[in-house]
Amino acid sequence: MLACRQVSKSYRTERGIVTAVAGIDLDVAAGRFAAIIGRSGSGKSTLMAMIGGLSRPSGGTVTIDGTDLWRLSDNALSEFRNGKIGYVFQFASLLPTLRLIDNVALPAMLGRRHGASGSYARAAGLLERMGLGGYLDAYPSEISAGEQRRVAIARALINDPALLLADEPTSDLDEQTESEIMDVLLTINREVGTTLILVTHNLALAEKAQQVVHIANGALVA
Amino acid sequence: MRLLANLALQNLGRRKARSFLLIAAVAIGSGVVFTGATLMRSIDDSMAVGFTRLGADMMVVPEGALTNITAALLTVEPTDLVLDADVLARASIASLGRIAPQKIVRVGHSGIGGHHDLVDLIGIDPARDFTIQPWLKEKLNRELRAGDVILGAGRDVPLGSQLLIFGKPHLVYGKLGRTGVGTHERGVFMSFATLEALTGSMPQHGDVRPAALSPGKVTGFLVELAPGATALQARFAILSAVKGAKVVTGDSSLSGIRQGLAALLQGILALMILMFASMAVMVSVLFSAIVTERRGELGLLKAIGARRAQLVGMMVIEAVIATGVGGVLGVALGVLVMRLYERSLVYYLDNIGVPFIWLDLPQTVAYAAAAIVLASAIGALGALYPAWRASRRDAYELVRGES
Repeated sequence: MLACRQVSKSYRTERGIVTAVAGIDLDVAAGRFAAIIGRSGSGKSTLMAMIGGLSRPSGGTVTIDGTDLWRLSDNALSEFRNGKIGYVFQFASLLPTLRLIDNVALPAMLGRRHGASGSYARAAGLLERMGLGGYLDAYPSEISAGEQRRVAIARALINDPALLLADEPTSDLDEQTESEIMDVLLTINREVGTTLILVTHNLALAEKAQQVVHIANGALVA
Repeated sequence: MRLLANLALQNLGRRKARSFLLIAAVAIGSGVVFTGATLMRSIDDSMAVGFTRLGADMMVVPEGALTNITAALLTVEPTDLVLDADVLARASIASLGRIAPQKIVRVGHSGIGGHHDLVDLIGIDPARDFTIQPWLKEKLNRELRAGDVILGAGRDVPLGSQLLIFGKPHLVYGKLGRTGVGTHERGVFMSFATLEALTGSMPQHGDVRPAALSPGKVTGFLVELAPGATALQARFAILSAVKGAKVVTGDSSLSGIRQGLAALLQGILALMILMFASMAVMVSVLFSAIVTERRGELGLLKAIGARRAQLVGMMVIEAVIATGVGGVLGVALGVLVMRLYERSLVYYLDNIGVPFIWLDLPQTVAYAAAAIVLASAIGALGALYPAWRASRRDAYELVRGES
């Protein structure tokens, strides 16, 4: 499913070159749940961004289902992100001017995969599954942080991605809500078979994963 | 496209105060440009007529000819002395602008007015005339033809009616406004061909016919100075090139005013261009700030699969909507200002007899459309570069910038 080979990322700063990720090799099989753990600033989010096609690596390759992500053209990469990868960010990432159903339908509309009515029917179904069927027309500011996170998960799933990337999706939530969100993610992984990669510094969450990748100072910890 | 337009509209609605200020700034800018351009063209047209109505800068007549100099208008008096019609053209004098030749014959028993009335028949070259036709107050809706005459304001014959001159029928093509100058008030104007065609019908004193009726001869020339030229330069140039001619100059201050105002209008045009350019810079800076502020949202859209063209399109559509609405409001504002102008200054000018010619409706609509299109184009160009630059950045970089 996912194969990273010698993936690295360096930034040029005023104080010289800073290496965030230094030559990481990583394989995650299809349908598995992998957790990337590490302290703040260890490079786990940067690695996740390179895996997800959001940040171009300084070196190495990222291959998903046989496609070398960073050899794709800009448009092809956008299409790949749209169809194959779902993201749940560590902050509330909904567009505030759009209703919940618009937010969820947006990736499908951008990808023009299901048509407008098909996209909205799928979005309504996903929100229903997330227990938000009564809030289709609500705006993000009208629901709680936990509910917003569930909407973000629904949005990530709208195009049936093969890979779901969640970057500390529960970092700002209370324990009860965190548990609910994790249950949703694990259910998707188990029932739908979507490969799940979770970035977290919460070891208790990582224990639920089938594969744990520990990063420190931009490198894998053996 | 609809999705992007919806997003753009919602973004504008999200920051109501800022959107309002942007629209207001563009409305004021495009309103000033639309109003300025329309008024300037109207003033330009009015000035062209007004200045032409002030007559020629100078007059070239045969030495010994009588001339009539009023404060504002030079007119040639009838005389038996003539000049060759091409004498000034042959001299090719750089300090001369437009040159209008005239043939003038004073006749009696013409059939016009009372039996003993003397009438000035004045021949003009319609293509070169710039002192008679600007005074046309009413005319038939076509060009001047052979057999047509233009009457001075002092002659009360209806437009389009037939007028017999020495028994030959002529059609009243146009009537002049009041000039206060005798020749213009009582004169009967026609083309050279129409005047020359009357030769055989005029009573003759022996074999003598008025010299001005001979083809290739004229009574005199009314002359406008070339831009920047002085009356003195032109006078010397004419006197040295044309033998037996006399140069009569009018009020020299009028030439100065004409040339000065033309330069002033050019200056106003330059200022308006500068204003539009500064509006473009302002919109560009504003959209640069808007893009920076919204990089998280752009990153998010990129992350969920928006293409670069879609991101740029969304920002450009947003800018075009805002500046386009501003342009429309600006035009509406401009129309209001011009109505106000019409009811005040134009009304006053009209009352004192100064003509103000508004730009016609099709041209005004074209100017309005151009102002709206330009305002929208400024929005599109202003947003294009910052949006394009942001779209090139990694989605993660954009998202992290916001979070």
